[in-house]
Amino acid sequence: MNSRHLGILAVCAYTILVIVPLWLAIDRLIWISGFDIVNWIQSLERNFVSQGAFEFTLIQATISTIATLVIGIPIAWQLGRYKWPHDYLIRSILTMPFVMPSIVAAMGFLHLISESGLDIRSNKDTWFATLIIAHAWFNLSLVIRFCEPVLSTLDPKMEEQMLLLPAGRTKIGRIRNLWIPLLTPSIAAAACMTFVFSFTSFALVKWITLGENTLESMMASIGSSAGINGYMISKNEIILGSSLIQFTILLLSLWIMSVLQHKRQSRLPKASESIVKMKNKSGWFIVVPAILFAITPLITLIISSFRVRESGPGSTTYSWSTAGWEYAFTSTSSLPSAWDALFNSVGYALTALAIALPLGWMLAQFICDLEKVRPRLARFFDLFTMLPFAVSSVMIGLGVMLGMIRIDAEFFYSLWLTPAIAHVMITTPFVVRIILPALRSIDPVYDECARTLGISKVKRFFKIKVPMLRGSILIATIFTLAMSMGEFGASWVVTRNSDWTTLPIMIDSLRSIPYNNSLTAPAANAVASVLMLIALILFISTEKFRPRRDGGMF
Amino acid sequence: MKNRIVLLSIFVSTMMVAGCISEAIEDSVNEDSPNPSEYVWEDDGELVIVTYDVYGLTDEMLSEFENQTGYEISLMKLDDAGSVLNHLMQHKGVQIADLAVGLDNTYLQTAIDNQLLWEHFANISNIKPEVLTPYNGPLAAPFDHGYMCLNYDTEMVDGENLTVPTSLWDLTNEEWNGKVAIPSPETSSPGRAFMTATVDYFANDEDNQTEWTDWWTAMSANDAIITTGWSEAYETHYTGGYGEYTEGYVGDAHMVVSYCHSPGVESWYNGNWTKSAALDLPRSAFHQVEYASAVEGGNLDAASAFIEYLLSEEVNVKMPTENFMYSVIENSDLPEDGGYRYHSTVPTLAANVSASDIALNMESWLEDWNAAMVAA
Amino acid sequence: MLSCKGLGKSFDKVLFDDFNLDLQSGEIVAITGPSGCGKTTLLRCICGLEELDEGQIILDGKDITNTIAEERGIGMIFQKPVLYPHLDVEGNLRLGSRDCDITATLAEVELTGFESRRIETLSGGEGQRIALARALLANPSVLLLDEPFSSLDEELSDKLLSDVREFLKRRNCPAVLVTHNLDVAKKFADSVISIK
Repeated sequence: MNSRHLGILAVCAYTILVIVPLWLAIDRLIWISGFDIVNWIQSLERNFVSQGAFEFTLIQATISTIATLVIGIPIAWQLGRYKWPHDYLIRSILTMPFVMPSIVAAMGFLHLISESGLDIRSNKDTWFATLIIAHAWFNLSLVIRFCEPVLSTLDPKMEEQMLLLPAGRTKIGRIRNLWIPLLTPSIAAAACMTFVFSFTSFALVKWITLGENTLESMMASIGSSAGINGYMISKNEIILGSSLIQFTILLLSLWIMSVLQHKRQSRLPKASESIVKMKNKSGWFIVVPAILFAITPLITLIISSFRVRESGPGSTTYSWSTAGWEYAFTSTSSLPSAWDALFNSVGYALTALAIALPLGWMLAQFICDLEKVRPRLARFFDLFTMLPFAVSSVMIGLGVMLGMIRIDAEFFYSLWLTPAIAHVMITTPFVVRIILPALRSIDPVYDECARTLGISKVKRFFKIKVPMLRGSILIATIFTLAMSMGEFGASWVVTRNSDWTTLPIMIDSLRSIPYNNSLTAPAANAVASVLMLIALILFISTEKFRPRRDGGMF
Repeated sequence: MKNRIVLLSIFVSTMMVAGCISEAIEDSVNEDSPNPSEYVWEDDGELVIVTYDVYGLTDEMLSEFENQTGYEISLMKLDDAGSVLNHLMQHKGVQIADLAVGLDNTYLQTAIDNQLLWEHFANISNIKPEVLTPYNGPLAAPFDHGYMCLNYDTEMVDGENLTVPTSLWDLTNEEWNGKVAIPSPETSSPGRAFMTATVDYFANDEDNQTEWTDWWTAMSANDAIITTGWSEAYETHYTGGYGEYTEGYVGDAHMVVSYCHSPGVESWYNGNWTKSAALDLPRSAFHQVEYASAVEGGNLDAASAFIEYLLSEEVNVKMPTENFMYSVIENSDLPEDGGYRYHSTVPTLAANVSASDIALNMESWLEDWNAAMVAA
Repeated sequence: MLSCKGLGKSFDKVLFDDFNLDLQSGEIVAITGPSGCGKTTLLRCICGLEELDEGQIILDGKDITNTIAEERGIGMIFQKPVLYPHLDVEGNLRLGSRDCDITATLAEVELTGFESRRIETLSGGEGQRIALARALLANPSVLLLDEPFSSLDEELSDKLLSDVREFLKRRNCPAVLVTHNLDVAKKFADSVISIK
């Protein structure tokens, strides 16, 4: 079997695993509610449960993007232009929020604003601002990752040149004529990704605001009543309408971003690593608050898991105890223990890895090889593998639930691995995005030389290709594991069965337990702390292997 | 060129296969429900209960059952009655659960119409007759009941800040803007019960010009807080109850849809004191009965055993204190301690909506409700 | 022995046409011509990294025109030393032959003690020597050299070329060198072919 066959096999497997469930789900929804796009879109305003969701989604995503840029650009500026002690550590801390599972961030911020924290939660007016800030917290790292390398590797001659020109005499002039053109592609790319993440926000919206819905959280809430013939038809229309809107907007954002990335690569003046940077004492006023901003929600999360708030008529007491942890790690008839959730999470992550990594690799190799002979076809497949990016996680969950499971419900419900299908759908495109540039970067002469040494194809793969791509493979591995373990939206739709519960779902379930049980919040925070620590460990491992100064998301 | 054709044809054939699969799925689940004599099930020693957060299903209560019968219980806790019904609908023909606990008399008919339930063979007796009025048959066993009505915070609704409404229309006034919390009838059983009451209320009020939907439109315009479930409305939004001691309390509503005996529960917990009171307007209360039903294709032995247990006198008389609902056992009543009975209201005139009305109209009522809320 | 009959390849324009070569055991041939005239492509076609448009290649009596590169038994030294950064010197050498005498091999190319050296620390000349040693360890029937020392200074280049010639002659390994420098060609090879 030669590599072309392997590639086609990969495309088929990918189509079956990723595209077909979505196709089946949408097909089912259309079968129930009819094919009428205008009707679908209109149903959003026609139904109480979805009314206002689109507007809210758009507004909060836009404002979140602006806020992220406003907060992030000064930080990227400081990091990129000046010298900092332990700058590697600072950068890691500031980019760490990005890998945090959304539910962890939700719990962290929820605690910050609740009675045990700033106690502003009872004031509804604070919810929107908190949501925006939480989104900015998340996406700060994108601005830094995209902009800082540009700033710090700029050939100093460019700036010196600018200073001498009339247009560059003033700071404004330099900003307008040097920095803005230089940074615009990076900023715009960061803005696009921030917009995409904020647009599909679920966990944060669910927990920080009450009653407000993004399209994503709204779809999740009605998902369980969709896909049933002759029942709640309007819900199917709503899902079709909102997923179409999501898909369009996401696709647009991704397209804009890919255009900008392309532009940026050709624009960057060649980097010079040995720039002497100056220190900037006043910059600490930006960097220190930034660091605090990045770590506060997480620190409060851990602390709050040990704090039990007992409240009753006439008194509120706080005590330090591990009761929350015990509660979380003991199973009851209604809730499994965090051990079970951990087992599931790890199991699903490893399964997703076992499938997504080889599959993503084969797809990347296929595209890379195709690029040399048929560049346009290669580009088509490149975009094809990016399709899941334009589909939100709730929609993927619906794809698994309405698409896959319906093929043979009894089989899929008895299969412990079923939720992992969603994880594979979500992580495979990321593997492709990580491995593909790495494959492209390997000089073909390495393979050619090995061929002239008489080394067989299989041996070349394991002895040369894999070791040379070791760094990217590791990043792809860790990223897949992290994404799978932190995955919330799709799992929420699929796992309504305690056998399948994962850490993020368990956090949500614990926090959702009603009535006056003072242990549910600390317990939820305890599990969130565990998940956070796992994410941190994975993140730190990635940082060791990430190629520096590549200016990309990964 | 050749490669392109090959790839395209692979792609197209994969999609066609997918299309065929999806058509096959549509056709497969269309069989009629079997006769009880034709029931076939497997007793695997396990009982899976699909429910929402029914307080009464405590660990002690469940382990007592497990000890008595040897069955192993696992609970599938969903958000509300609506989720339970959705779950049963989604898994039609391939049910995971053996027993559904928490469908009420506004949700039950849909489940029956869709053949989601099986006849249990539990031995039950001594049930209050009024509890059997909405449904009296083997597909659903009533295990608790109560009256849905509005509750208000007497400290805020004291004649100075807010006045006690004498008609539901009062709640559409400016002073009540954003201060009424109602669970959604689409997802919550108390919410659906209350909506059903309003159908009757406005059909019988003096005003012949307005419909019940007009009131809901006005409430929507007056920023009524619509939640997915009762607990969010009562715990998070309502100021008159224990919500202020829970995490995440917001406390913006002084009027909430709950039970006429909820103030009794509050009082019992607080040691004979409460600031919550039930609003006793004629036809604004609804008699709700909650059911436990065996799910089609499930472990009928285990389900029936549990129903028998749940409806046994020893267990069921504890409903007021374990589940905060009335027991269905004849001659039982709310306890007197802690002012439970004293602070609980029995509505003077509950809404009169027959089970057959509900069966006939619920679907269109929900559609009308939806349209009314959007119209604001 | 290597026999090339009527090799031809074009890409937009004709790179080479009706090229013939007969290489006897132990013979070293140089191919010269101006830059960009297809010499490198010709070598790549001979060792199997690229496909010919027409012609036939016969090695030791076997027609290898359609054999894949890794099975042809034709080695190649590239313009820059192709050493694998994830392996040290010893690791790179073992790619040529798994069980070989590393010490002896290194001694032969005058790089004794270089076993654990990282590739990045080697100079251009050292790197090509390792590449050469490695290629020879794979026991090729023919060795192709694509201007391997053109990036080094003249003195070093000359020394290395004469060392390489000595190795090849000692082993009786036929070789084809491609270079744009006629002097180098004359010094290194037994015969010179010119391509326009």
